[in-house]
Amino acid sequence: MWQRETFKKIKQIPREEHVLPGTALCAGCGGLEALRLAAKVLGDHVVYVNAAGCFTMLAAYPYSSFKGSWLYTTMGSAPAGAQGIRDALDVLIAKGRVPKDEDVKVIVLGGDGSTYDMALSSTSGAMNRKLDFYYICYDNEAYGNTGMQLSPATPFAARTATSPCSLQHPGATQEKKDIFEIWRAHRPPYIATVAPRYPLDLAEKFARAAAYTGPKMFLALSACPTGWGYDPGATPEVAKLAVETGLWPLKEAVNGVVTHTYIPKRKPVEAYLQLQGRFRHLFEPTVHTEAIRHIQGQVDAYWRQAIQEQA
Amino acid sequence: MVAVRFHGRGGQGAKTASRILGTAAFVSGYVAQDSPIYGAERRGAPVAAFTRFGRDPIRERGAIAHPDVLVVADASLLDDAAAHVLDGVTGQTVLFVNSSLSADRLRTHLTLPEHVTTRDVTGVALQQLGAREAISALLGAVAARVVGLEWEPVRSAIDRELRDLGLAEPVLERNLTAARLCYDSVEPARLPQGAVQAVGAASLHHPAYEPPTKGTARIAAAGNSVLRETGGWRTFRPVLVADRCNGCWLCFAYCPDGVISMNREDRPVVDYAHCKGCQICVHECPTHALIAEREQEGGVAWTAK
Ligand SMILES: Cc1ncc(C[n+]2csc(CCOP(=O)(O)OP(=O)(O)O)c2C)c(N)n1
Ligand code: SF4
Ligand code: SF4
Ligand code: SF4
Ligand SMILES: [Mg+2]
Repeated sequence: MWQRETFKKIKQIPREEHVLPGTALCAGCGGLEALRLAAKVLGDHVVYVNAAGCFTMLAAYPYSSFKGSWLYTTMGSAPAGAQGIRDALDVLIAKGRVPKDEDVKVIVLGGDGSTYDMALSSTSGAMNRKLDFYYICYDNEAYGNTGMQLSPATPFAARTATSPCSLQHPGATQEKKDIFEIWRAHRPPYIATVAPRYPLDLAEKFARAAAYTGPKMFLALSACPTGWGYDPGATPEVAKLAVETGLWPLKEAVNGVVTHTYIPKRKPVEAYLQLQGRFRHLFEPTVHTEAIRHIQGQVDAYWRQAIQEQA
Repeated sequence: MVAVRFHGRGGQGAKTASRILGTAAFVSGYVAQDSPIYGAERRGAPVAAFTRFGRDPIRERGAIAHPDVLVVADASLLDDAAAHVLDGVTGQTVLFVNSSLSADRLRTHLTLPEHVTTRDVTGVALQQLGAREAISALLGAVAARVVGLEWEPVRSAIDRELRDLGLAEPVLERNLTAARLCYDSVEPARLPQGAVQAVGAASLHHPAYEPPTKGTARIAAAGNSVLRETGGWRTFRPVLVADRCNGCWLCFAYCPDGVISMNREDRPVVDYAHCKGCQICVHECPTHALIAEREQEGGVAWTAK
């Protein structure tokens, strides 16, 4: 059984904020919630390396939400930027110009469009070179900042600006790319999935990752009221159902060995889908039983295998 | 040609309202165009959209500098200099403001043109649609009435545009009912006919090359985003009913913007200057100690110090 060691109860969440308010991100942004919780563990001695996306708005001239540093890069090159920053820091540490005990961390902050798509080769390179960095992908399952276009992280049947829904087009026709397994094939020391509604699970994973040198990869479910079509107040509910239906497994991989950190009882996927405008066409005006059954089938198959492997 | 400019906050539906007006005009037999200012606009951030229609082909494109009609989806935008709502407004401009305050009340602190109509469109939306739905159909209907379009083309435009957004049938019906109420609540305005807008000659600039050390925007201050207040984004504010609170910290844990802090008695203190009003804390409080109260108007959507 996986157990939390550092974060056992809610009141252990550090009070200090490291992502300051006044941001231009939407009210109720699930990605921001995940980052805020992660930053409580990561602290202020950080250099964020950001790929263009919603989070770019967190440090858009002339305002920054961070006490640490921030470098803005193109969508395809954040991990390469991280390599440059890490190397420069190491040189400065060697020259005695940056104190080693400040333990400055380099953290890539990329959306799913960047992570699953444009920066995949750059990420692969960084993992292959065993770059000592964190990677946080905030996954809102579409190219959000430009108006919610289909990305390889978009789940099957979801409506996006470029996967419209009509009788001919039942939303996205491809399946969500399994970036966790693509990362795992590179054998980085630490990979984890997290979700904002599970703050202790999230904080614990960032605390555990600190023990490893090399790539520490995080995939954060970023429930997105604007793009997914639900009321901003429902972000925790949506994130919770993503986990409770089994659609978003909470897990980690330490040196390639996978552990599920929470085994959901698995509510029917409808509970999750029905909350969101991007899946409404599956229920109205007629119910697309086939598509829903397909989604349920994928989840069931995933957990059958996961439980078998864990046993 | 009639030029209508819409101002709203991301998520309110100003962009779709502008589309609805354009489509309604087109269905009525006019030539029409509509376009939003497209940027990285977020829910709550100021946005603008433009509709032109007329009998003759329209050659102007892009932003409308001098609108005949100005539709403001949120009164608080009027106080927000960064939203540039009143730019290019002349004595002739017909102004519609979504507000429960009268035009005279607004005039006590703002310089407004002669023709100002206010209606509480948000109030109608709250009654007819439920909390915090976009008010695009309602605003589109108001704008269409102000410029003198008939109801039938407006109805069909709303139907088309909202259906395109994937709205469910019952939601669509509720929008049509609410839109009709708003349509009937305003009068057509007398608009200056055939006024030709001056179009400036374009001049080309060659940007000079600057090395990245000079040409890249650099922020030297740390954590200065707090200088920008987002409290005016709210339509509802979370309010604590202290004796119901059990001090569990969940509201603090879940607030995405980190604007709840727990005091010494383990009671939440909300930073209203920055709370965006997402209502996550209200939804997640296990004892219903946080309740949502509708904001009174007059706040500033987005201020910067
Ligand atoms: C090479 C390149 N193509 C397109 C863009 C335009 N662009 C800016 S942000 C963005 C969306 C990024 O999507 P994602 O990485 O998922 O982040 P999100 O916006 O969803 O947070 C796009 C397409 C760009 N900056 N660079
Ligand atoms: S579009 Fe979605 S991910 Fe982007 S800021 Fe808004 S809520 Fe967050
Ligand atoms: S309404 Fe949203 S932003 Fe405001 S305090 Fe509650 S959770 Fe935070
Ligand atoms: S969630 Fe509710 S009960 Fe818990 S601390 Fe906040 S206000 Fe109090
Ligand atoms: Mg994205």
